[in-house]
Amino acid sequence: MRRLIENRFGMLALVLIALGAVYGVAFVSRPAPVAPVKAEPVRAPIAAVSTVCPDPGGATVTAVTPPNAEGGGQTLIEDGDEPATVDEPGKLWQKTMASGTDPMRVHATGAMAAGLEAAQTRRALTGAARGLAGVRCVDPGADAWFVGPGPAAGDLKLHLANVESAPADVALVVYSGEGQVIADRASGMLLKPGEHRVVDLKKVAPSPLVMALNVSTGRGRVAAAVEAATPEGVDWLPQTTQPAERVVVPGVPGSAGRRELYVAAPGESDAVVHVKAVLKDGSYALENRETVEVPAGSVVTLDLSTGVTGQPAAIVLTSETPVVAGLKIVGTGGRTDVAFTAGAPSIDLGSVVADARSTKDVTSRLILSAPDKAADVTVTLLPREGKAPEPIEVAIPAARTKEIILKGPAKGFSVVVTPKTGSGPVYGGRVMEERAAGGQLVTAQPLAVARTWTLVPPVAEEPSAVLSQPS
Amino acid sequence: MHSVTAIVVAHDGSRWLRDTLRAVLAQTRPIDRGVGVDNGSRDGSRDLLGEAFGKHSVVQMPRSSGFAEAVHEVVRRLPKAPGDTEWIWLIHDDCAPDARALEFLLHAADEYPETAVLGPKLRDWLDRKLLLEVGVTVARSGRRETGLEAREYDQGQHDAEPRGVRDVLAVSSAGMLIRRDVWDELGGLDAKLPLFRDDLDFCWRARAAGHRVLAVTAAVAWHAEASSKRRRRIAASDDHPRRLARRYSLFVLMANLPFWTMLWSLVRNTVGSLIRTVLFLVAKQPAHAVDELAAIGSVLFHPLRLRRARKARKASRAGYQLVKPMFSPPSLAFRRIWEMVQNQLSGGGPMDSAGRHHAVQQPGAEEGDELLNDDDGFLRRTFASPGVRLFVLLTAVAIAAERDLLTGGMLGGGALVPVAGGASDLWAFYTGEWAPPYVAVLAVLSTVTLGKTWLAVSILLLGCVPLSGLSAYLATRSFVSYRPARVWMAATYALLPVATGVVASGRIGSAVVFILLPVYASLATKVLADTRPVSFNRVARRAAWGLGLLLAVGTAFAPILYVFVAVLGLLAALSFGGVKRGVGGNLLIALGAPLLLLGPWLATIVRDPVRILREAGLPMTSSPRLAPEALLTLNPGGPGTPPIWATAGLLAVALGALLLRRHQFIVAVGWGVAIVGVLAATVVSRMSTWPGVPLAFAATGLLVSTALAAHRVAEFRKAGGLRKAGAFLIVLVAFATPVAAATLWIMDRAEGPLERGVRSPLPAIAEAQSKPGQGTLLIRAAAGGSTGGLTYTVLHGRTPVIGESERAAYGSDFTDAVAGLASGRGGTDAAKLAGRGIAFVSVPAPIDPALRRALDSEPTMARVTLTDRAGLWRMTGTVTPERPPADDAWHRWWLYGQGALVVIVLILAAPGARTAEAEAPEEIPAGRERVAV
Repeated sequence: MRRLIENRFGMLALVLIALGAVYGVAFVSRPAPVAPVKAEPVRAPIAAVSTVCPDPGGATVTAVTPPNAEGGGQTLIEDGDEPATVDEPGKLWQKTMASGTDPMRVHATGAMAAGLEAAQTRRALTGAARGLAGVRCVDPGADAWFVGPGPAAGDLKLHLANVESAPADVALVVYSGEGQVIADRASGMLLKPGEHRVVDLKKVAPSPLVMALNVSTGRGRVAAAVEAATPEGVDWLPQTTQPAERVVVPGVPGSAGRRELYVAAPGESDAVVHVKAVLKDGSYALENRETVEVPAGSVVTLDLSTGVTGQPAAIVLTSETPVVAGLKIVGTGGRTDVAFTAGAPSIDLGSVVADARSTKDVTSRLILSAPDKAADVTVTLLPREGKAPEPIEVAIPAARTKEIILKGPAKGFSVVVTPKTGSGPVYGGRVMEERAAGGQLVTAQPLAVARTWTLVPPVAEEPSAVLSQPS
Repeated sequence: MHSVTAIVVAHDGSRWLRDTLRAVLAQTRPIDRGVGVDNGSRDGSRDLLGEAFGKHSVVQMPRSSGFAEAVHEVVRRLPKAPGDTEWIWLIHDDCAPDARALEFLLHAADEYPETAVLGPKLRDWLDRKLLLEVGVTVARSGRRETGLEAREYDQGQHDAEPRGVRDVLAVSSAGMLIRRDVWDELGGLDAKLPLFRDDLDFCWRARAAGHRVLAVTAAVAWHAEASSKRRRRIAASDDHPRRLARRYSLFVLMANLPFWTMLWSLVRNTVGSLIRTVLFLVAKQPAHAVDELAAIGSVLFHPLRLRRARKARKASRAGYQLVKPMFSPPSLAFRRIWEMVQNQLSGGGPMDSAGRHHAVQQPGAEEGDELLNDDDGFLRRTFASPGVRLFVLLTAVAIAAERDLLTGGMLGGGALVPVAGGASDLWAFYTGEWAPPYVAVLAVLSTVTLGKTWLAVSILLLGCVPLSGLSAYLATRSFVSYRPARVWMAATYALLPVATGVVASGRIGSAVVFILLPVYASLATKVLADTRPVSFNRVARRAAWGLGLLLAVGTAFAPILYVFVAVLGLLAALSFGGVKRGVGGNLLIALGAPLLLLGPWLATIVRDPVRILREAGLPMTSSPRLAPEALLTLNPGGPGTPPIWATAGLLAVALGALLLRRHQFIVAVGWGVAIVGVLAATVVSRMSTWPGVPLAFAATGLLVSTALAAHRVAEFRKAGGLRKAGAFLIVLVAFATPVAAATLWIMDRAEGPLERGVRSPLPAIAEAQSKPGQGTLLIRAAAGGSTGGLTYTVLHGRTPVIGESERAAYGSDFTDAVAGLASGRGGTDAAKLAGRGIAFVSVPAPIDPALRRALDSEPTMARVTLTDRAGLWRMTGTVTPERPPADDAWHRWWLYGQGALVVIVLILAAPGARTAEAEAPEEIPAGRERVAV
């Protein structure tokens, strides 16, 4: 050893051999490149749901929890002095309320919360409120968007309810066809815990014929819903999705009647919106209405009757600036009724519609669209009475829309739509039509994501969260 | 008959020595014998002595020897001259006696036969009439008193008529004439006082023994006071002469006074020193203040040394009554204070507590004089020193590269928590709970930087390159003698990919280890390979304690260091242990001290061994796929590291150096360390840990073994011809590495996750409204954004200070609750969090809309603000504040214990009286080479 070290070449050779060995070790031990493991969010049942039916007076309120989750739970329906409780999943609770009833809170915990759905439907055959007017009971939130006719086109009432324990500070922003409306009375509304209020939008902004309305809270949360009574008919405006670069307005029924699209660009810049209709036999840009230009802060309407009337459809809007959109469905007949649908999310985790009926006069349609990829869904009916019929499997080819006429018990039923695993995104809506003297009654409700499941994101405790991560 | 032996002690004094020797040889009463002692001069003093006394009459001493030691060495060898009264005449190399000086001295000796020590009147070397001293005495403060006014000219006013002698307590050792029997009786000058006050001590003992000490005013000598005026560098000690003088003054006083008087004097001097320290600080003379404190401290903290000295002086204390009347009168003390006040008022020179060595101190003349000196002027020495130049250059490079990191908001990113808070926050954190010990180190540093933690962290992290360069340059002093090689080595070390990577990714743990690593190498060399026979044990033992302490510091910052050092230490023990006794024990001290100092913290690491791989700061993983060639070129990968060819030059030179047969043993050790280091780096890297520390070790081994062969390059250059070209090429290749690294670093702008202007993670509202015990949950999208994962941490009412990130995790229940909250599933998640003290939830941008919806829909939470940059929600329900940690008595005791242990280790590691180091490289005896790796 010593001689080797003292020989200059011996030493060099030793070192080179050692280096080679180290290189070899490093080379052999080098792991193969591993694709970063994508932590998938985990589905978890929702544990508590609280929803508010904004104006149940004179309407039929339906609440249901599909049988999903195991374990116990309870739904509490705060019906004035006689609160009702339900603790059996799959059972429909339905009641027609006396007029003048305050907003009703439906609150569920445990297994009963997973998928709780509530809706109110009012039916009037005479008077100014003639028509079917239904709305999905709303979750209290900090931000809500509505698109539809403006106060100049009829009576628009904003129902606000604060069912939380903290006060809510509400601000309204109204966008009209001419741009954003600067209104004195739009902000500074304070709702104490438990307080509810109806705001006549005419007093906030009297002039818009069409409008987009943003209800937001500086602090606290509020349940907001808009009721529109126009000469064409009455209905509630469903909440639309937040401004986005891609909006899908689903649930356009295959019946006759006028269809009018509302598009608003609430941002700072003008939007050029590409409009496409997803129909039974494919997805098309509508002739001469391929694009619509929406000036910043304003609302534009587009008559789609010639393109989509008579065909079940979903409208897909794409734009480089975020937009919100809604659609008016006008029924047929001498005295018309209207219904509104609006931009809705895809129902990846399933959807529940609380209220549907199928009688001699009433038709309930389920319109399902798969604008991107082929989709497979299971449709289950939960009847109010009697045995549940077999679930229906529905396959929707890519870029197609399918309409299903729901045949269920006459007493009413709920509809559960569940996409199968591997299915493409599905958008949908439910439309109820009733043949009545003088003209058809109609109401619509875009499918919302069921409150059954939520995606629990992978979460890790990491002290480095104090630093902004390089993206 | 008298027989006089002149002993001329020279140490880098050739400037004066020629005149001195001429004067000594030209005495009217010729000396009988002349002996020269050379204390390792480098300026040809030895030859001068040889010319004067003959080659055989010159004794060669090591450079670090003191004056007393040199004289002892001569006296020991000096044969007795039977029949005569033998005298020893001590001559400094900068002290030229008048031609008749010896004659007058001996005349006085004849006249007063009871005299044992005589000294001439000393005048200044340059200003020939300026009086320096006519015998000296001592004040009770230990101050050396000459009894003269400042700048007094000699007009015979102090000449004692008629006989020309004065009874004094002491005379200067410059020109001191000592009767040899008295020298032998008293044991001569105390070798423990290598430089100053040895004369005072000796004369005190002579006096106490009943001998007379006379200043002979007729005899004149001219003295340059080269050491005390810093006209030359002192090699016997590293300290400033002022501090040495003060320390030895106190020591002499304490050693010679009777016990009770000494105690009283000790108290008095301690108080006096503290007062003086304050005065110095007020007078903005911090250096003086430090010297003052260090001097009294060194006396107080070495009671054993004092005891030994006192034991040796038992006899002298008995004669205290003989000495007492010779002390300077107390009135003199008041005069000094008055002078000091005058000086301060007139903006004059600095206060002086040691007592001037002589009566004269001329600041102006001192400055002018310094420049005449060849290598010793302070300023010149500073800027002529390659080390300082290198430091300045590296600082410039660092500033150029880190130009974006120097100013602006908070520094943070990578592994570095945004630096917030001050020293008091760190102390509060460290004393409040079981915090990682590096917090204490940073707290100490922040205290030194006046409470500014950001400054301390910036110095350590951003100054990592120049600091490590400086430490590499200084620490290798003892084993690489060829200066250009040291410069190359330090520059290369400082600009290694590890260093630039450390800065770019904000790894303060690795930065500290990187700066300390050369010091470890130097201390470890002392522990293992110190071959000095006399003081071997003590120096090596101290080095072992020092190594232990610094190892504890480094381990606190990066625990992997300890593992690595332990492995190397074990290997070293196996190879050295059999050869040298005591090595094993010293190694045990060095490796045991960190265990002792970091005890409980290390225990927590043992329980969770993965943490060995973590370092101070935020956890930051590194790719386990580091290329083998990157490992071999000492490139740890990650942000801020140059391409792998940047260090190719280093590797080429290192391999080339193997062909030169020189220091083969150390070269083999160096390469051994390098290969073990790279191997360790491979292992560590494959475990997704950044291999900075082991690669720094590898680089150190490589650099040392290369630098040792570097002087051969100089030989090649001298050889000329082809060899000269070869030398040029080698230098070019060698310097290519640091130059390329610096250039790339500057071009890269030290870019990495580390940045300035990091936003505080805690929103101001949450900070203002959090009550004690309440926390803010910070949720952020996980790195890589699109995966949808979230990360969270909990902040407690303020931006977390460094080290808080290593608190115990909240656990999986809490994590589940956070996930539930983020999913918006409702239920009791928010209440669970509120039950753990969470009052706010903060989400910095970009805010995932789903997360925002989830938080908005949570009934027990209310939104406080939501902007483009961040959102903040508040719990509306009851928030149960987290219980403050119970007052942990065991923790408190441990803190006291740890503090005491640090002090003890510091004392054991503190350099004693003899810190001098031989600068020449120690050649390892050939016999040891058989234990080669």
